[in-house]
Amino acid sequence: MTTLAEPDLGNGRNKPIFNNTTGFSTLITVTVLLLAWLAGFASRLFAVIRFESIIHEFDPWFNYRSTAYMVQHGFYNFLNWFDERAWYPLGRIVGGTVYPGLMITSGSIHWLLHALNIPIHIRDICVFLAPVFSGLTAISTYLLTAELWSRGAGLFAACFIAIVPGYSSRSVAGSYDNEGIAIFALQLTYFLWLRSLKTGSVFWSICTAISYFYMVSAWGGYVFIINLIPLHVFALLIMGRFSQRLFVSYSVFYIVGLLLSMQIPFVGFQPIRTSEHMAASGVFALLMAVGALQYLHSLNPKGQWKKLLIVGGLMAAGLVFLMVVFLTYIGVIAPWSGRFYSLWDTAYAKIHIPIIASVSEHQPTTWSSFFFDLHVLVCTFPVGLWYCVKNINDERVFVTLYALSAVYFAGVMVRLMLTLTPVVCVLSGIAFSILLDLLLRDDDLPTAPVEPNDKNLYDKAGKVKKRAPEPTSQADFGLGMNVRSGALIAFMILLMLFSVHCTWATSNAYSSPSIVLASYGNDGSRKILDDFREAYGWLSQNTAEDARIMSWWDYGYQIAGMGNRTTLVDNNTWNNSHIALVGKAMASNETAAYDIMTMLDVDYVLVIFGGAIGYSGDDINKFIWMVRIAEGEHPKDIHEADYFTEKGEYRVDSEASKTMLNCLMYKLSYYRYDSGGSPPGYDRTRGALPGNRGFKLTYLEEAYTTEHWLVRIYRLFEMFITSVPTDSVVYDFLTVLAKRIENFMMIAAGCGSRLS
Amino acid sequence: MKTTIKLAGCYHHLTLLTFVLSTQSVLEEKVEQLTDMTAKQSIIHLNLNKFKEYVRSPPRDYSFVVMFTAMAPSRRCAICQHVYEEYLIVANSFRFSPAYNTKLFFGMVDFDEGSDIFQMLRLNTAPVIMHFPAKGKPKPADSMDFERAGIHAEAIIKWIQDRTDVQIRVFRPPNYSGVVAFAMLFILVAGFLYLRRNNLEFLYNKQMWAVVALLFCFAMVSGQMWNQIRGPPFFHRTKNGPVYINGGSHGQFVLESYIVAILNGAVVIGMIMMIEAAGGVKGTEAQRAQDGKRRRLQTVVGLVLVCVFFSLLLSVFRAKTQGYPYSFLFK
Repeated sequence: MTTLAEPDLGNGRNKPIFNNTTGFSTLITVTVLLLAWLAGFASRLFAVIRFESIIHEFDPWFNYRSTAYMVQHGFYNFLNWFDERAWYPLGRIVGGTVYPGLMITSGSIHWLLHALNIPIHIRDICVFLAPVFSGLTAISTYLLTAELWSRGAGLFAACFIAIVPGYSSRSVAGSYDNEGIAIFALQLTYFLWLRSLKTGSVFWSICTAISYFYMVSAWGGYVFIINLIPLHVFALLIMGRFSQRLFVSYSVFYIVGLLLSMQIPFVGFQPIRTSEHMAASGVFALLMAVGALQYLHSLNPKGQWKKLLIVGGLMAAGLVFLMVVFLTYIGVIAPWSGRFYSLWDTAYAKIHIPIIASVSEHQPTTWSSFFFDLHVLVCTFPVGLWYCVKNINDERVFVTLYALSAVYFAGVMVRLMLTLTPVVCVLSGIAFSILLDLLLRDDDLPTAPVEPNDKNLYDKAGKVKKRAPEPTSQADFGLGMNVRSGALIAFMILLMLFSVHCTWATSNAYSSPSIVLASYGNDGSRKILDDFREAYGWLSQNTAEDARIMSWWDYGYQIAGMGNRTTLVDNNTWNNSHIALVGKAMASNETAAYDIMTMLDVDYVLVIFGGAIGYSGDDINKFIWMVRIAEGEHPKDIHEADYFTEKGEYRVDSEASKTMLNCLMYKLSYYRYDSGGSPPGYDRTRGALPGNRGFKLTYLEEAYTTEHWLVRIYRLFEMFITSVPTDSVVYDFLTVLAKRIENFMMIAAGCGSRLS
Repeated sequence: MKTTIKLAGCYHHLTLLTFVLSTQSVLEEKVEQLTDMTAKQSIIHLNLNKFKEYVRSPPRDYSFVVMFTAMAPSRRCAICQHVYEEYLIVANSFRFSPAYNTKLFFGMVDFDEGSDIFQMLRLNTAPVIMHFPAKGKPKPADSMDFERAGIHAEAIIKWIQDRTDVQIRVFRPPNYSGVVAFAMLFILVAGFLYLRRNNLEFLYNKQMWAVVALLFCFAMVSGQMWNQIRGPPFFHRTKNGPVYINGGSHGQFVLESYIVAILNGAVVIGMIMMIEAAGGVKGTEAQRAQDGKRRRLQTVVGLVLVCVFFSLLLSVFRAKTQGYPYSFLFK
């Protein structure tokens, strides 16, 4: 490894404390890492301080519910858990469809603390898990960077990743999600991989595989590792950097990692059956072939072996490639799944998988998102990349490939900014470290300890001789005090700007729990809007234990987590046709919707309506996606164009199309609505007066509306209620019964989607 | 046939019979002619007479999908060409599919050949794809909305299926251009390597690889992928002159992303200059022997580049992000 910094002890101007160099540098390292941990932890607590210790958003609610289930019922019951409360009437096999790493992690912490007689609620562990892991991520980033460049660069990288918004976006307190622990596992795996490659020891390779196992258990993004490491090996082979170390570390890692990863029920046999994992197998086979050829070469180093080596290697590569293509063709290996395929063919998801395209975090990334999430790092990481490529070695090939692939994926999908952030921190750490190291080298500024000159501090004094003549001609060659200190001050300002930006971004953009909203008055006073929990609390108190709630899938996990009631669809969007059915019910008129809802045994319907307070993430704004998804499955009954005006605008006022004004979603949102300022019934979100008002509902009745109209719950009339309050439709019991029988027969005939 | 019989209801029985027979034969004749024309060319070119005869006048038992367009180069309709290509794919897919029948025909009217048809239908834009159902007049939904659905053959087919219940599977003639381009590139690279086989040193030129890697990074972080997927305008023209920076943080213009790439690049160059001036990383210390003056100058230039261009970047970002409080050097 190249040590970056030259020893600067020769100047003889150092204070006595520097003499005990090893201890001093360790002290600095530990202190800086601890401070980074503390800063990272503290900057993630905005949500807890402003609101309370609460689980955020959507997916974390499911994770929390599963964790609580596991703590209560034990690990094996959790693995075998069949959740009949979700995806009614299908249910969901939870144990086989989750990455259990997150639950196991917090469950073990809970167990450990209770074993030590520290009684702490599992919710608090879940809330604070991600901030705690951010410190561990900082440490693993430090180790990775130290392996790549120097320990000084490692400290910079650790400080960067502790506070950078691109990572804290997924790891604030309460954001109890897989990514929070996965980035730690990702960085640790990469560090261990580089260490094992460098040493060629089986021990480190096994460690890599175990860390990889943890990553597989934690997050679906493990696919990134199992493609990047083979890519690294492949690149090393092409560059002619084959070595015994490479051979040992990769083959051990591949075999052990493969076996371990298949132990996760959700992953199962995928590693040998799907295209996403085939790169690893192919490279493994290729490495074996190259290893064999190398062995033959070593038997007889003279002669024509070199040519044979190259030709044989190329032929082996071609053979492996053809083999994979052939196996895919005959169906042994599943082709790329849509989610991964859409990363390459960027137009794919938009046409074929609307449910992926509908999620905002699957959109491509603008430059301002890059800047928002990375700030000064976005324009300094190329410097680190530049010097890594210019001073290439086995490990830096890895970080180069890591940077290039991650920056591509982050460009395609906002969500994958998360995988780019760590490598940007590593490379920026290298860049800043090189520069500040050089600027501080000949100076004895009092700020010297800021720059952790660690490795060089205990370098052998013998090297000093090389630079001995320099101090004498300092005046000619040196940069001079003024330039140095000017540059230093400028870079300190940049770093300070970075840290205030990080705090600002984390505080303003990423610390909203999204189930508790806050609004600010003109005088700065704060008002908490707690409608979501009010509604879910109502559900859990006032409805039957087995009541079935229909809502759009975004709210499924929250209803299950907080309301403890059965839902039809939730954020685990595994069954597109079921979601489409719910979308169709929302998009149909009341009569048609009632048929679908009775078919699905719905008792209550829950809609989110932000018109009264100007909340833009409500169901009317999401409605067009419901229509799109429903149209995908039921092209006969739902037409997207019907919901737009003639001019193709999406409106809710009197200009809106008739279909729009009469669909269930519209009616449930605006039923009896008279709030929202003047004139009463004004929709603040859309800035319009609803076009259809004062209507009555025929098949549903309002059950509950929260304080700010944000959540509205409706109850379906039982079909046996004959005294339906209706003015237009004569509601005949027999017609309903007949229709219901007809529906059931249709379901039996397998055409349940074609109704009325 | 219902309509014709209704029409004929007031006639005498005999006339009724002959009328029915004649309309029957007229219809058969029309369908036969259309089938012949389709056999020659999967899109039938229509002029005013043909349009009236086949599309507007009864009897008809077939649907007619007609594209109104302006293909002449003097009309300068760039999108017409694209729509025509996609439309041709649809027509061909139908023509050569097993589902081919005489219930659906594809036609096309060019403005320069049938401007009177445009006037008749009060069309003043092109291209338009309209569906003329077998019965009744076209409704608003019988004109395809390119803005929402897009112009891809798949979208057209979905719309046709919507209107006529005819299901067509897209058969795109395999696009060899990508394969050919790839093969050409491969051959070029291989040929180049072969020609330079005695001097492959340039492959070990780290500078070149580093530049390539950096360019890729700049392209990505300046949002070129977003441009590729979303296809924004190059810049925005308003009454008050051109606008280069999109005001919202969720959008960007092409020119804007180039500007950002250049700003990023300038910061990186500045920082590399500073590092090189200060001695460089071990292994790239070529400038060690320089005199101090030049090194100082280079450092200052690099520092100015970093500070100025980063401040510019920050202020552009600030202009886009509402409520962003921080800036450096410039507002």
